[in-house]
Amino acid sequence: MIRTGVEASVVRGEFTARGRRMLVAVEIQRQTQRRRVQVNRQPLRRSSDLRRELATVVFQPDDLQIVKGPPATRRAACDEAVALLYPEAEELQVRLGNCLRQRNALLRGLTVSQRRGPLDVSISQTLDVWDERLAMAGTAWAEYRIRALEVVSPLMSQIYSRLNPGSSTFVELSYQPDWLGAGLRASLAAARREDVERSVTTVGPHRDEIFWSLLGMPARTHASQGQQKALALAFRLALHDALSATRGQPPLLMLDDVFSELDPERRKILPRLFPSSQVVLTATESYPAATRESEVVDVTALLLGQAGWAAAIS
Amino acid sequence: MVDPYSTLIGDLIDRLERLPGIGPKSAQRIAFHLLQTRDDEVSRLASSMIEARRQVRECVRCCNLAVLDECEICSNARRDRARVCVVEDPRDVFAIERTGAFNGLYHVLHGSLNPMEGIGPEELRISELLRRLSAEDIEEVILGTNPNLEGEATSMYLVRLLHDEGVAVTGLARGLPTGGDLEYADEVTLGRALLGRREFPAAEI
Repeated sequence: MIRTGVEASVVRGEFTARGRRMLVAVEIQRQTQRRRVQVNRQPLRRSSDLRRELATVVFQPDDLQIVKGPPATRRAACDEAVALLYPEAEELQVRLGNCLRQRNALLRGLTVSQRRGPLDVSISQTLDVWDERLAMAGTAWAEYRIRALEVVSPLMSQIYSRLNPGSSTFVELSYQPDWLGAGLRASLAAARREDVERSVTTVGPHRDEIFWSLLGMPARTHASQGQQKALALAFRLALHDALSATRGQPPLLMLDDVFSELDPERRKILPRLFPSSQVVLTATESYPAATRESEVVDVTALLLGQAGWAAAIS
Repeated sequence: MVDPYSTLIGDLIDRLERLPGIGPKSAQRIAFHLLQTRDDEVSRLASSMIEARRQVRECVRCCNLAVLDECEICSNARRDRARVCVVEDPRDVFAIERTGAFNGLYHVLHGSLNPMEGIGPEELRISELLRRLSAEDIEEVILGTNPNLEGEATSMYLVRLLHDEGVAVTGLARGLPTGGDLEYADEVTLGRALLGRREFPAAEI
């Protein structure tokens, strides 16, 4: 958030990660909307490098869309889990994106007559090469997705059942791309005619669905809104647990307005599910008594239109 | 009223700015430097640019830059004509020549497969390479394209194309830079170096 009338916003924080103290500063420029990150006063080359230094898991009210929204939101959530759990996969993700862009550019560059008739030998040989590169990167990425879900899914099922005591719950995240049986290389070849006609790559990890199921039914269509919110929250908490275990260091957990997202029953239970590590909560009203807070920062004065607001921005 | 002098200078700066690696600040510096340099110095610079552009063309054999029909490497009788190293750019020829470790000939593609920039096999000197393979006695083709996505795609394309040409096709090894520290190597390079590890030959033990 950038204060009205000001050019940039800076957030500074002091962290202890892997036994060493870190000073992190993030600046957001209004004009460029770009983020610049400094760690111990040294600028990071890419702001995404902060992930390696300091892992954070954030729950936002918008996370409901992971369950409710289109497949792209579930892919993005899964890919975020991969990036956090396996930082070494970053280069692969970039490569996969580039392969896809190159293949699509090749498809878009075909003329109308090339698109209708049988493909030129030279074009089909060039497509072969991009199919091969895409198949290698895509298959490797799918393996990372499967690995990440195998770690997160059981943890998530446990957390979800603790959020819903007394009711039967079984949550599963699964990823079984259609192309897995035949292999991506063969599936791309099979889809080539269609890809050429539509000028876009129709098969691959960028098109797949990640299934979120509750009691074996698809959560997107069969879970209630309350259940969907709880599922999204359980996903974030499970990711936090998984990261704590693999990194040996719990990431920072940030829960944005989580209590107003939950029904009264789950609100009471949630504080018992908090990890013993640091949690940053934001709330618009009082929060359950079971929350053991160490520090409360009251920001009502900064709210637009509140008494004290004018004084705070001047 | 437009000042004719400032238009001239502005034009010069604009043209310099289009050169690779030159930003607006450097373009300005170079322009003002040229304006304060002796007349004959500037004339010599201009004429060597024009002469180089006029006389340098592509070698009829390897497509490297050449002043005569054949480049110096192709016309050198002491080079090993059975080995051809395929590179993307004339600058790569310079780089490999600096090693002194290669005595064969080259073939310069003038780019790599890059659909996003509209570069397909027809835009590269690939047909020229195929013609060489049937006309010359080439035993080994060494693929020296860049180790990035486009370079690797280009190599893969060539591997398939050269499959039934009756030549050995090899690629440059991927690994660690000599004289560097392991801890400074990026993960991808180090990972590749591990994959490409070799047994020490008996002579080194």
